[in-house]
Amino acid sequence: MKKLILLAVMCLATVACSKKTGQETGVIKIGAAGQLTGPEAVFGADMLNGVKLAVEEWNAKGGVLGKKIELVPGDDQAEPRQAVAVANKFTAEGVVGVVGHFNSSCSIPASEVYHKAGIPQISHASTNPKLTDQNFDNVFRVCGRDDQQGKAAGNFAVQKLKVKRVAVIHDKTTYGQGFAEEFKKNLGAGVEVVAFEGITKGEKDYSPVVTKVKSANPDLIFFGGIFTEGGLLIKQYKAMGGTAPFIGGDGIMSEELLKIGGPATEGTYATFGPDTKEVPSAKGFNENYRKKYGEPGVYSVYAYDATNILLQSIKNAGATDGKKLIAAIRAIDYSGALGHIQFDAKGDVKESPYVVWKVESNKFKQVK
Amino acid sequence: MFLQHLLNGITIGGSYALIALGYTLVYGVLKLINFAHGEIYMIGAYLGFILISLIPAMPPFLQGNVILMMMVVLIVAAAICALYGFYLEKICYRPLRGAPKLTPLISALGASIFLQNFVMISMGAKDQIFPQTIGMKTITLGGVSFTLLQLVIIFSSIALMALIYWFINRTRLGVAIKATSTDPYMASLVGINVDTVISVTFMAGSFLAACAGVMIGLYYGSINFTLGYLGGIKAFTAAVLGGIGNVPGAMVGGFLLGIIEALGAGYFSSEYKDVYAFFILIAVLVFRPAGLLGKGVNERA
Amino acid sequence: MNGRNLRNDLFYYLGILLICAPFLKMHTVYVPLVLLVAWGVRSCAAFAGESRTFSDIRLKTVNTLVAHQTLAVGVILSAALLLPFASSNYLIDVLTSAILYAILATALNITVGLTGVLVLGFIGFYGVGAYTTGILTAKFALCGFWIALPLSGLAAMLCGVLLGIPALRLKGDYLAVVTLGFGEIIRIFLTNLNGLTGGPNGILGIKRPSFGLFTLDHPRDFYWFSLAMLALIVLIVSRLANSRYGRSWVAIRENEMAAGALGINVFRKHLLSFSLSAFFGGIAGSLFAVKQGFISPDSFTFYESVLVLCMVVLGGIGNVIGSVTGALLLIVVPEFLREFSLYRMLVFGAVMIAFMVFRPNGLLGSRMITQEIQDREDDGQ
Repeated sequence: MKKLILLAVMCLATVACSKKTGQETGVIKIGAAGQLTGPEAVFGADMLNGVKLAVEEWNAKGGVLGKKIELVPGDDQAEPRQAVAVANKFTAEGVVGVVGHFNSSCSIPASEVYHKAGIPQISHASTNPKLTDQNFDNVFRVCGRDDQQGKAAGNFAVQKLKVKRVAVIHDKTTYGQGFAEEFKKNLGAGVEVVAFEGITKGEKDYSPVVTKVKSANPDLIFFGGIFTEGGLLIKQYKAMGGTAPFIGGDGIMSEELLKIGGPATEGTYATFGPDTKEVPSAKGFNENYRKKYGEPGVYSVYAYDATNILLQSIKNAGATDGKKLIAAIRAIDYSGALGHIQFDAKGDVKESPYVVWKVESNKFKQVK
Repeated sequence: MFLQHLLNGITIGGSYALIALGYTLVYGVLKLINFAHGEIYMIGAYLGFILISLIPAMPPFLQGNVILMMMVVLIVAAAICALYGFYLEKICYRPLRGAPKLTPLISALGASIFLQNFVMISMGAKDQIFPQTIGMKTITLGGVSFTLLQLVIIFSSIALMALIYWFINRTRLGVAIKATSTDPYMASLVGINVDTVISVTFMAGSFLAACAGVMIGLYYGSINFTLGYLGGIKAFTAAVLGGIGNVPGAMVGGFLLGIIEALGAGYFSSEYKDVYAFFILIAVLVFRPAGLLGKGVNERA
Repeated sequence: MNGRNLRNDLFYYLGILLICAPFLKMHTVYVPLVLLVAWGVRSCAAFAGESRTFSDIRLKTVNTLVAHQTLAVGVILSAALLLPFASSNYLIDVLTSAILYAILATALNITVGLTGVLVLGFIGFYGVGAYTTGILTAKFALCGFWIALPLSGLAAMLCGVLLGIPALRLKGDYLAVVTLGFGEIIRIFLTNLNGLTGGPNGILGIKRPSFGLFTLDHPRDFYWFSLAMLALIVLIVSRLANSRYGRSWVAIRENEMAAGALGINVFRKHLLSFSLSAFFGGIAGSLFAVKQGFISPDSFTFYESVLVLCMVVLGGIGNVIGSVTGALLLIVVPEFLREFSLYRMLVFGAVMIAFMVFRPNGLLGSRMITQEIQDREDDGQ
C-alpha cells in the first residue's frame, strides 16, 4: 500500500513537472489528434504521417521563428471523452495549434476546449456542418462540409445520372447519416427514395439490408459511410445479382474500397475534392510521402496541408500567441498540395469544389 | 424474398453457432464466460489470411487442388488457434482457479485488449483482404441468389458441428468433458485429469472459432482486428439463447439468432437489427429462464 | 531440474514462438523479445501461484488502513480538495473523469458487489441519465440543471425498474446477458431516435450548472462539484451497505435460498438494489453531460460498461472505497501510458491480467462477510 501511495505521488509529481518543462525549451509544439488506436486506427496513421511529413520538411528548413517544431500526437480512440482529455492535455503542454481531430463527434467537444484556451484547431477531416456552425473563432477545416458534399452528390444523381428511384444506406454515424440526409434533401421532387436504411458498423454480413434494397429495385444506391462497410455492401449486393451503381462520399474514396469490394466496385461513384495525384501542386507531396510511408491515404494530404497552413501562419504572425495566430490563419491565402485555400468567416474553406469520381478499370477517375 | 432472408440468416448463423460452441464448452466445465473468445475467432481469421497469403510458396501439388488447399489452410489455422486457446487458459485463467467469480472476467478482458492490440500492431490497422478464390459466381434458383462458396460454408459448419457432437458424446475425452462439466470434483475422483480436460475444452472451442474465422474471411473477403468484438457479443448471445453450457443449444441458438436478425432487418428496419435479437433473447429468457434447450438452473442448497 | 521439467519448458517456449510466428512474419529480431515476455509471464504466474502469503501480507496492510479509515479518508479527501491549486487543467479534467467513473463504479457496486448480480450493460443507465439532462436542458431547454439532475436519476431508475421486473427473475449469467442486451438496446435507440436524441450527432451545447450568478465554468469548480457529489454518494452507499438493507443484500449474495428462508423478500430486495444502482448511474450520466457539454451515442458503448465493471472488480468487489480506487486507477493509468502511444492499450491489457493474477480479490480485497466468518473460525481454532 505504501508503495502504491509512493507511486501515486511520484506520478503526480511527474505530471506537475512535465507541465512546466514544456514551455521553456526552445521548441514550438503542435498537436496532431486522431484515432491512433482502436477500430479506425488506419485513419489516425494516415493523418499522423501527413503531419509528420510537413513537420519534417519545415524542420529541415530550420523550423519556424528560429525554433524547431515538435509534433505531439494525441490518441482520441474515436471517442468523445478521450478527445476532450487529449485536448486538455494539449493545452496543458503548451501546444500552440492543433491539427485534427478526425471524427466530427470528437472534433466538436474538443473544439470547445481549444476555444476556451484560445488555441487554433484545423481539422483535416471533420466534415459535419455543426463543427464550424458553432461559430468559434479558432476552429478551421481544410476539408469540405457534408451539406456541400450531399448537394454535389444529389445534383450529380439528378442531373447527370437522371435517376428516378434511389435507395439510401448509411452507417448510423455523425458523418454517414448526416451526409445521407443532406443527399436526400438535394434529390428534389422527381426522385423517389425507395429505401432509407441504417447499418451497424463493424459487421461483415449485410445480406439482409442488401436483399431488401435489391427488392426495392433502385436505379442508384447511395451509401453514407466508410469504405470498409461500403466495399462489403457493394460486393454483397452484386453477388446477389444487383445491378444498380453505388454512389458515396469522401469516406469510400479509397484504394481500400477497390480491394475489399473487388471487381464489384466497377462503376461506383464518389464525391471528393478534385484529383490531387495529377495536380502538379501535390506531386512533391505524393513522391515524398510514398518514399517514407508508402501509399498516402485520402486524408494524408489534408493533414499535410493543414499542418503547413498552421506553420505558415505562425511564420506570418511572427508569434505563437493564440490571438495573433488565429488572425493569421483567418487571413491566410495559401497554395498547397490541395490547391488554393482561404477560410471564410466560419472557418470553412472558401471554395470547396466537390467533384464526382468513378471507378473505371479498378481505379478512381475523376468524371469530367 | 423469405427464402432469401432465411438463407442469409443460416449462413451467418452457422458462424455464430461455431463461435457460440466455444463459449458453451468453456462455460460447461469452468462456469466461466470466456470473454476473450471473440478475439480467438479474430486470430483464427488472421491465421487463415496469413496462411492463404503463403500459398504461392507451397508445393505445386497443393496449389493445383483448390479444395485440398483450403482444407489444409483451415486445419492448420485452426490447429495453431487451438494453441492460442491453450495458452490463454494457462496464462489468464489457470492462476485464477478458485478466485472470486468475477476475477477471471477481468483477466479475460485484459487478454482481449492485449490480443486485439497485438494483432493491430503486428498486422496493421488496415483491413486485410482475402484473395478472391473460388465459387464466387452467383447462382439464382427460384428467386434465391447464392454463391457456391456460401453453400460450402453452410455445409462445413454443419459438418464441424456434427464432428464436435461426435467428439463430446462418443470419445473418451469428450465424455470426460461431459463428466467434468457435471461435477468437476467427482470427475477428479474417478481419475479424470481435470486440468487436461479444461485445456482440451479451450482448444476445441478455439478450433471451432478459428474455423468460423477462416470461413468468414473467405466468404466476406475482408477482416480486421476488431472482428472479434461484434462476433463475440453475438455468439455469446446465441449461446445464452440456446442455453449456455448446452452443446446442441449453442447450435440452435446460433442459427436462430442469424435468422432472427436477417428477418428483422429484412422485413422491418435494418437500423434496429441488433435490437430484435436482444428483444427475442429477453422474451425467451422470461419464459424459459435457462434458454431454449437449457435444463433448469440448479439451486444449490 | 529434471528431464520432465526441461521438456515442459521447451514445449512452453516453442509453443509461444509458434503461435506468435505468423504475426511477426518470422522476423528473427522479435524472437528474443517474445521469449523474454514468455519468461516474464511464466515467472509472474509461478510467483503469484506460490506466494499466496504475499497477498496475505498485503491484506494486513490494507486492514490496518481500514482500521484507521476515517483518518485515511480525511487525508485523501483534503488532498483531493487542494489538488486543483497545484495542477494543470489537463490533470483536473482527467481526475474529473475519474470521479464520474467512480460514481458509476460505486453505483454498480451496489448490484455487483453487494447483491452479487452481474450487470453487463450498466452504461445504459449512464446514457439514459446523460440524455435526459441533454434533452431537458439543451435540446428543448425545458428546465435548468438542478431540476434535470434528479430527473435524470429518476429516468434511469424507471428504466432499472422496467428492466428489473422481468430480468431479475433470472439467474446469474442469464441475467448478465439480458443487461448486456439492455445496454445495447439503449445505445441503438439513442442512435436512431433522431428527433429526440439527435441521432448519431448527439446533443450539443449543454450548459454547465450554476449557483445563481456563479457558473461552474472553470474545470476546477466543476471538479469540486463532482467531488462533492462523489463524497455524498459514497457516504449514502456505505451507510446503506451497513444498514438492514445492505445486510440483506449481502445475505442474498451469499446464499439466496437461505436468505429467502429467513424471510427476506429476495425479488424486492434485488429490485431495490437494482433501481438504486440505476438511479446513481443516471446521476453520473447527468454530470457527464454537463461536463462534456456534448453527448453522442459513442460514449455509451459496451466497452464502457465493461470498463466500469473492471473498476468494481479491480478495486475489490463489494468494497465501496475499492470502487473509487479502481476508477482512479483505470482512468489515470491509461493517461500516463499515453507516452507509449501505439503500445498503450497493449500494455494496459497486460497490466489488467497481471493485476488479477497477483490480487485476485481486487486491490482493497473485500471484507466479505463470509471472509470475516472464516477469519473468526480460524482465530477460534
